[in-house]
Order: sequence, then structure tokens, then C-alpha cells
Amino acid sequence: MTAEANDLETLARDVRIHVFAEAAATTHVPQAPEIARALARSETDVRAALHHLAAAKVLILAPNDGTIWSANPFCAVPSAFRVDAAGKRYWGICIWDALGIAAALGVDASIRALCGDCGETLTLEVGDGRLVRGEGVVHFAIPAHHWWDNIGFT
Amino acid sequence: MLLFRDEEHLEYWCEARELPRGAAITPEQTWRLAHGWYKNKVKADWRRHTLEETEALLASIGLTSAFWNLRG
Repeated sequence: MTAEANDLETLARDVRIHVFAEAAATTHVPQAPEIARALARSETDVRAALHHLAAAKVLILAPNDGTIWSANPFCAVPSAFRVDAAGKRYWGICIWDALGIAAALGVDASIRALCGDCGETLTLEVGDGRLVRGEGVVHFAIPAHHWWDNIGFT
Repeated sequence: MLLFRDEEHLEYWCEARELPRGAAITPEQTWRLAHGWYKNKVKADWRRHTLEETEALLASIGLTSAFWNLRG
């Protein structure tokens, strides 16, 4: 591995640790300028690291502007999958990720998600590491082998 | 992955979009999938699951049909 590639790997690791720790602690998914300031690196370097992480399917970038859409399971913007946990409000891009937030944080959580058809609010609750309340059915539209062909649709 | 109130609402959704039905699983299965997938994601030493580890996770939840085949 070249020194440049090694530096990118190291920075990508630092960016990953920072982004996920921030998202977990604050609910806010930091974007490139904030990450650059926190790690005392150039924004150009950080953007390269983010693209590296996206290529490795560690997080998902918005298609047009390269901002982090989801440091999955933590969605950077409000969605139809709201998670209240540890006194904070998080968002997931799908019901899998909403439950994933409870798993990643290791805390109890209340999840309110909208029915994909009618918009009715459905509630799931996690307590003591178990799903203690669940309703509805979860639909995977895309076969597993093709999940990452279009992760937004998946 | 969307949540639907029940099978009927899932069928409405598929019909309205002229999309084939994929696979429907329970919230309990989804929780077990999410827990296995994400429980270490915030940790500094997190790493991606290997293909074999992911297959084992899916199998442990009973997701063994061709729909869940990761190898194409």
C-alpha cells in the first residue's frame, strides 16, 4: 500500500469513528466541514475519506451534493422512522435502521414509523435488549443480493 | 425496508406501484436482524461482517430462501 493510500485508510477510520460517535451522542450526523474542523484536516481530505467510506458501504452519501445522507443506522435528516431513545430523538432511513439505532446505542427505544401504504403511525418498542412491542409487517422489496444496487430504493 | 400495518396494506402498496411483492418478515425478525447487523456499528473497532457471517445471521432468523441469497 502506498503512503497516500495508507493515509486515506487512516483518515477514513478516524472519520468513521468521529461520525458515528457524534451521531450516537448528539443525534446530529456531522458533515464534511464539521468533521474537518474536529479532526484538523482539510475538507478536501475529509470528502475523499467520506467517498472511501461510502464505497465500502459504511455510510451513504446523498446522490447530488456528497453530504452524508445516512451514517446508517443514523439518518442525517428527519424521516418516516422516528426513534426516541436515551432522551433524544433520532431518525432512520428505514425500519431496519430505526431498530438498528436501538441496537447500536444498546438502550431502550420507542420507534414510531408510518405505514408505507396509509401513513398510519405504528409503534415498536425495544426494552432490555428485546423487542417488547411490535406491530405490522416489514417488507423488503429488493432481493438481498441487489440491496446495494440502489440503496435509496432498497 | 418499509413497515406496513398489515399484509393487506402491503398488497395495496405493491399493486399501486405495480411492483412485485418482495419478502415480508415480522418486526421480531427485523429486530434480530438489526441487532446482529448494527450492535457494534458505533464501536471504534467495528468491521463489516464477512459474507459468511451475514449468511449465518440471516439463517439464524430463518431467512434462508433464495430471496436472501447474498451470492447472486
